[in-house]
Amino acid sequence: MKAAEARVTEAVVKPLTTFEENRSRFSRARLPPKERRVRVTQGTPSIDASGRAFFPFAIDAKWGAGWQANTVVGCAYVDGAVLVKRGDDHRPAESLLGKNVKPVAGACVESKDSLAAVVK
Amino acid sequence: MRRLVSDLPRLAFIAAMLAGSALITATSLASLDDENLSAFVMEKLPVRFEAAWFLALKVHLVAAAFSLPACVLLLTKALQRRLTVHRWLGRVTGGVVLLALVPSGAVLSLEATGGLPSTLGFLVSGGLIAFFMTRGILAARRHHVQAHRRATWHVLAQMSVAVSSRVLLIAFEAAGLEHEPAYIAALWGPVVCSALAVEVLSRWTLTERTPREVRPAVTRPALAVAFARAGR
Repeated sequence: MKAAEARVTEAVVKPLTTFEENRSRFSRARLPPKERRVRVTQGTPSIDASGRAFFPFAIDAKWGAGWQANTVVGCAYVDGAVLVKRGDDHRPAESLLGKNVKPVAGACVESKDSLAAVVK
Repeated sequence: MRRLVSDLPRLAFIAAMLAGSALITATSLASLDDENLSAFVMEKLPVRFEAAWFLALKVHLVAAAFSLPACVLLLTKALQRRLTVHRWLGRVTGGVVLLALVPSGAVLSLEATGGLPSTLGFLVSGGLIAFFMTRGILAARRHHVQAHRRATWHVLAQMSVAVSSRVLLIAFEAAGLEHEPAYIAALWGPVVCSALAVEVLSRWTLTERTPREVRPAVTRPALAVAFARAGR
């Protein structure tokens, strides 16, 4: 779990902060938050349809006085891949840095088979 | 020296609008790239009818990059003295505004941050631009200089919202206001204030500078003759 949190910080929070520092402020886009924090929302990993284990995570952000929860949600695979949710799809974390990457089908969705195995 | 001082607000406005337009264009160029999306685009995605929205965004950015500085230049005395250039640049600008800027802006307004109040704000501003641009064109064709001037001031005033609302938004967010209320206030404030400012200014200049008896009709006969000479 700690490893997943560290992985999300490295793959999402740090590059996103650098990306936002370099963008123009004279835009209608929201100003970057002052701070972000990563929460891994599950103690044990889930298994997707391809049999890969992942931890769901959420990133909270602070603009004014309070924290806004779940500004970014996604999943961190145990093998290192980090995906973030946009609409109904999950895409590689680079999508937050403006890269127009395609969604990954079936990613970050817990497999029904793995759920059944846990229940049994 | 006195003339320079009296022209100072106008010159400052022109300089601010040209600088703001250049900044917006530089910032918006990133939004034309399909592979590297800008922060503004990423904030909006996912949107309904994504292809149509992207097309509207690109049309709007290119149209705005041309029409805001063009409108500023059309209001400079230097260009107003060159009637043929003024007339042709005005025609092209009018076409770009009515056929590209306003329709694409209306499409983009449907996905505006802040929901319905923001959508309405953009639609009102775009509606004023379309209405006064049409009136401005008709007034120019009839050689009604004062009516043309008032209408085009309204067009430029609403276009200036692009600059003033961004400045206000930065100020509001820096002051710690929530993003959505700040966005709505930073939009509606300049839309309403710009329209009121033009009304006050145009009434003041009409009263101050124009003899009462010629106010509603052609107020500058010499300019009207020059209009006619330059050809329709």
